[in-house]
Amino acid sequence: MVEDNMSFEDNLKELEEIVANLEKGDVPLDDAIEEFKKAMDLVKACDDKLKDAQDTIAKIVKDNGEIADFDVEQ
Amino acid sequence: MDEKYITVSKLTDYIGELFKCDLNLRHVFIKGELSNVKLYPSGHLYYTLKDEDSQIKGVMFGARYKLKKFRPKQGMKVLIEGKIEVYNKYGNYQLYADKISEDGVGDLHRRFEELKKKLNKEGLFDKSHKKKIPNFPKRIGVVTASSGAAIRDIITTIKRRWPLCEVILFPSLVQGDNAAENIVYQIKRSEKFDLDTLIVGRGGGSIEDLWSFNEEIVARAIYECNTPVISAVGHEIDYTIADFVADLRAPTPTAAAEIAVPPYEEIKNALNQLNQRANLAIDKKISENKSRLNNIVSKKIFTHPHEIYATKEMLLDSLIGRLNYSASSLIKDNQNRLELAKSSKVFKNPQELFDSQCFALDNLINRLNYSSNSLIKDNQNRLSLIRNSNVFKNSEKLFDSKNIDLNNLINRLEYSANRLIGVNENRLDLVKNSPIFRNPQKIIDKQKEQYLLQFSKLEILNPLNTLKRGYTLAKSEGKVISSSKNLKSGDELEVEFKDGNVNTKVI
Repeated sequence: MVEDNMSFEDNLKELEEIVANLEKGDVPLDDAIEEFKKAMDLVKACDDKLKDAQDTIAKIVKDNGEIADFDVEQ
Repeated sequence: MDEKYITVSKLTDYIGELFKCDLNLRHVFIKGELSNVKLYPSGHLYYTLKDEDSQIKGVMFGARYKLKKFRPKQGMKVLIEGKIEVYNKYGNYQLYADKISEDGVGDLHRRFEELKKKLNKEGLFDKSHKKKIPNFPKRIGVVTASSGAAIRDIITTIKRRWPLCEVILFPSLVQGDNAAENIVYQIKRSEKFDLDTLIVGRGGGSIEDLWSFNEEIVARAIYECNTPVISAVGHEIDYTIADFVADLRAPTPTAAAEIAVPPYEEIKNALNQLNQRANLAIDKKISENKSRLNNIVSKKIFTHPHEIYATKEMLLDSLIGRLNYSASSLIKDNQNRLELAKSSKVFKNPQELFDSQCFALDNLINRLNYSSNSLIKDNQNRLSLIRNSNVFKNSEKLFDSKNIDLNNLINRLEYSANRLIGVNENRLDLVKNSPIFRNPQKIIDKQKEQYLLQFSKLEILNPLNTLKRGYTLAKSEGKVISSSKNLKSGDELEVEFKDGNVNTKVI
């Protein structure tokens, strides 16, 4: 399973490595299937993160330390 | 009456001449604020220079070339060097500029260069200090004014490119007094917010507007900041000190945002591509293995497994057949023999066999007894015959007869010997009485006489005697030539005379 605390970048990087390795074709089938499963987990994790993206959250740290939503149109 | 009036042109010419005669107006140094600045495609710059109370129109011919990087802007305080002349067409006087520079800039430039040199020497700009800007930031801090284009551009750009990222604004003064201190304060504050990247900047403005980003305290705050810093001071052409010290310099706030986050669509595409590639790779792997499996499964051993042992089965069958046949024929054979044996006399009538054997045995014993008895008898007979022979019975008589024979032989031997001696004595006497023993000289003389006779005969035949009579002897190579047949002209001959030899040649 893909660990939650891995960053998007780490996941993407690992995915790239796995795919490159799979494409080399010299991995035994059992391992290849394991790798493929992991790749699909990673794709899902990355995809979920991309889909998760709502609107960019913009905040402002006021002088008194209060953190408030920041509206661009202000 | 008409002579009193002159034309506008003449008046203007006259006034123009007055201006030209005034040396003060030929070379003026004016300072003021620019307005109505217009740079025409011809390269000429038109402007109005003013202060609180007055204004003067002006032009700079070929400003595009004369000013190089410097771009005069509305509201800019400038120093202008040039001349004042009248523009006849409108009847006004104008400031014809030769040089325009920003007021107060010379001082600022000097300070800028000094600080740059100092910080560079300290190593604040070294590449080794530059931190890497994260590719996929989760949270970006921005130190800039809360109002204005800069923060708006940044948020808009990040929203468009990478909406996964959170933006936190640390509102700061970005120009005027205290701006530098405020910027430093906000940079330090931002460090507590676990930021991936910090953007520090503002939109475009004059060099004075941007000056806080050239302050040493700001430069040092950026240098000391643990978060990777992108500088974004909106002045595309010139660099600020902040640009030199930042981990990365962006020419504008929008550019800073673009650098700070990856493009969402591209990443999504890249992810889709990776997904496709992974699927293709595994499909290929699986189909490869499938075809290998099919290859194996389609082999005879799986499709017609029976064929593999059919021939062996046949062999086995034939072996079993042969075994059965052999076994039964063996059994039969032995049964026959057994039957035969059973039906033999031994089994049927053993007594008879025994009896016949006993009879044969008795027979043999009888024959043996008979043979031995007759052998004994024979030898007894021979023994008694020997005992009764003359040798044993009349041994003396036998000896006597042998003795007579012996004496006879001795007598004959003596007689023969004596006779032989007599004969030989006679022969000896005969020899002794022969003339050769009695008169040997007579024999010798007779032989000598015979010799002399023969010698005289021989003398007649000597060839030398012939020579003495006048004959010659012809020789060639020591051999006597007795015939002319073998001679030819030119052969050399030796002719022997009685008293010497002569060499001649055949003609």
